[in-house]
Amino acid sequence: MSQYLYIALMFVGIYGLLSQKNILKMIISLNIMELGLNLFIISTGYINDAKAPIILFGNEGNYVDPLPQAIVLTAIVIGLGVTAVALMLARNIYKTYGTYEIDEIRGENDD
Amino acid sequence: MINPVLLIAIPLLAAFISVLLKKLSMVLLFGVSIFTAISGFFLQKGMFMIGGWKPPFGINLMIDDYSFIIIIVINLLFFITLLSGMWDLKKNKTILMVILAGINGLVMTGDLFNLFVFLEIITISGYILAASSGKYYSVFKYLVLGTVGSSLYLFGIMVLYGTLGTLNMADIAQHVPDISNGVKLISLTFIFAGLGVEAKLLPFNAWVKGIYGNTTPLTGPLFSTVFATAAIAVFGRVFGQILVPDSTIVFAFIALGLITFIFAEASAMASKKLRELLTFSSIGQAGLIITMFLIGGFYAALIQLINNAFAKTILFSYAAKAYKSNGNDSIDNMSGLFRKNVMLGFGFTVATLSLIGLPLFFGFYAKISMLQSAFAVNMWIPAFIILGSLIEGIYYIRLLVKLWNPGVEGQESSELVQSQFVIKNGFSLSLIAVLIGILFVVSGIIPDFLTENISKAADSLSDAATYLSTVLGGI
Amino acid sequence: MKKLIAILLTVVVVLFVFANLYSDDSDFKVFGEKLLEQTVSEEFVNKTVDLQRDQPETGSANIVTSIVVNYRSFDTMGEVTVLFISALGVALLGGVLNKKVAFRHKPGFIINQGMKIIVGIILITGIYIFVHGHLTPGGGFPGGAMIGSAFLLMYLSNDKFRSRITAFKILEGLAGSLIMIIGLVGLSTGGYFLYNFLPNGEIGQILSAGIIPILYVLIGLKVGSEVSNILGDFFIGEVEQ
Repeated sequence: MSQYLYIALMFVGIYGLLSQKNILKMIISLNIMELGLNLFIISTGYINDAKAPIILFGNEGNYVDPLPQAIVLTAIVIGLGVTAVALMLARNIYKTYGTYEIDEIRGENDD
Repeated sequence: MINPVLLIAIPLLAAFISVLLKKLSMVLLFGVSIFTAISGFFLQKGMFMIGGWKPPFGINLMIDDYSFIIIIVINLLFFITLLSGMWDLKKNKTILMVILAGINGLVMTGDLFNLFVFLEIITISGYILAASSGKYYSVFKYLVLGTVGSSLYLFGIMVLYGTLGTLNMADIAQHVPDISNGVKLISLTFIFAGLGVEAKLLPFNAWVKGIYGNTTPLTGPLFSTVFATAAIAVFGRVFGQILVPDSTIVFAFIALGLITFIFAEASAMASKKLRELLTFSSIGQAGLIITMFLIGGFYAALIQLINNAFAKTILFSYAAKAYKSNGNDSIDNMSGLFRKNVMLGFGFTVATLSLIGLPLFFGFYAKISMLQSAFAVNMWIPAFIILGSLIEGIYYIRLLVKLWNPGVEGQESSELVQSQFVIKNGFSLSLIAVLIGILFVVSGIIPDFLTENISKAADSLSDAATYLSTVLGGI
Repeated sequence: MKKLIAILLTVVVVLFVFANLYSDDSDFKVFGEKLLEQTVSEEFVNKTVDLQRDQPETGSANIVTSIVVNYRSFDTMGEVTVLFISALGVALLGGVLNKKVAFRHKPGFIINQGMKIIVGIILITGIYIFVHGHLTPGGGFPGGAMIGSAFLLMYLSNDKFRSRITAFKILEGLAGSLIMIIGLVGLSTGGYFLYNFLPNGEIGQILSAGIIPILYVLIGLKVGSEVSNILGDFFIGEVEQ
């Protein structure tokens, strides 16, 4: 049931990218999409009635799948890197064009 | 014999050291680039485990004939790009070393998640390099599309993990034919979409015009040759050998590739600026080569890939330098330029004619084998290929005619361009152009040395059984 | 009109994904119902990947740490590189603005004085988390992020705090080079890059698991200094040298 929610969250982020016209809102939609994706990845590793994969915490042998957790660790850090670069680009766009709205930027951009 | 891990570890080590000792970064950059370009020829072939854990539990690097050729080509092209863009390096030296490690890792890896990580390394470095052109909105568009693409790719491979329980390429290649059609459709479509953003396929390439159309003499050859070759080579590996699509899905993918080709060539015909024309030509070539990988014509695809890579080096370097020295790259202003720079003109002409595929040049063999593989499938695909090649031939020959003959506007326009052009480093560009031109002509007449190795590479790509037994043979 | 097309497209794709993943004959394992034996992780959990090494083959109690730093260490190296180039890119792009960001409301007395107590606590928590990465949940990345947040508190609460501390750049480069050098030492002694060449010890002790704690400490320091650099560049542009 929750996996439906996570996939829907990911596509809410993509919808946000398609429909928003402000650069900061696009960056937020990008983060929502990555959030949904990371939650979906963790959810593929869940096993019913299993515990966290750490020895010495008092459970014997019944562990959740640890590989998706390692993957999500990497994916979160990569998302952080992309967001940092995107925010710096947004600041430079504001300095060059004076606005955050895509419609006005496209008017001034001769690309 | 050199361990291929060194091709990744040494550039990264040099990148970290260059942050500590800024004075040495130029020396480190050229040293590392020469090291990888030369050691590409002496690589040890086979499967290499990282950390000593056997696949599918650990990550492995796979050097077969296919990766071997692609690595040699990429490292040589990187070195040539450095020579062409020497005067624009400024503060980008550390990032270039990371890019070198990233492209080597991308082509050699044997694990799908590792591919995602190296793809992110390359694309984030691409965003930062492209931002040096000053067009921040185009770079932002590239960033958004690239991130969405990578996320869709990650979704696709995690669906495969949820079904099969492994992330290793060989393990997945073994088990993919057995899974149910719905899951196969979803995962293959999302992985195709993810890889297609960087490989410039049609619904995903809104970013290309802004980035390639505004390149400097460093980023132009880098993006259009090094990145493009690496991205398309990865495409060939994943869709040619690991996740071979069924006949129902593959027609949709082939259709996308062909539509990309035709639309791009048509847009190139209508453009008036040199960098824009070359951008659309690059998109078209990418669509064509990917179509070849999907229908199984690996030999043709590889020849055209190498052909395109070396040709675009000269073409983009020249276009970017012309823009930098003159402030614009409109084709009409350049008429008659080659009368004054015969060496550059020779190299440029040979590269263009080889790209079109005229006889006597290396590209001829590419065209012949493409038509051969295409005729074996059905009649529509060769028709599209011939149509696209005709359009390509028309606009390239029109370009050449304009550049060799001074226009009606008179001698003063060509004089003006000439006197401003060859200030910075025009001589070394002409030298590189002549050398590559001679290479194209020689291999057009005596192709056996190259074609033998390329056909070995193509055979190793189509031979999934050897790949599987090399990787999983220890179990 | 454009929003309508966007909504329609998204809903169609979502329904397509649901229909294919959760139909009756799909092989995608239902949430919670997969068995560990069908995935690669079984050997990770039982520590039986390479039966020719001395048991236990990784001495870390946290199984996710053993995957991140030992079995799939190449991915971690790539991730460290991604953060490295992001920090570098933010510094490169930040050169356009040359004046310092000024706050409209100066930070008051509570923040200024309270900061001095809290920053120490946050720093110590961060260091504890990445030193104990192989015993408790956490590791280098969350620990480094905590260190970064401690520095953010320092920037926010003190108008005159000098960023561009050169020590961060040196720490970053040094930590990164040490990670690569450890990998190359593994290559020369064990024959494989990032081979675990130190003895494994007992599961649960702090000095166990070979190179894992060393790598995690280096990664934690690197991530902490890079996050602090990124945050500092947002407040002040790069100083021309």
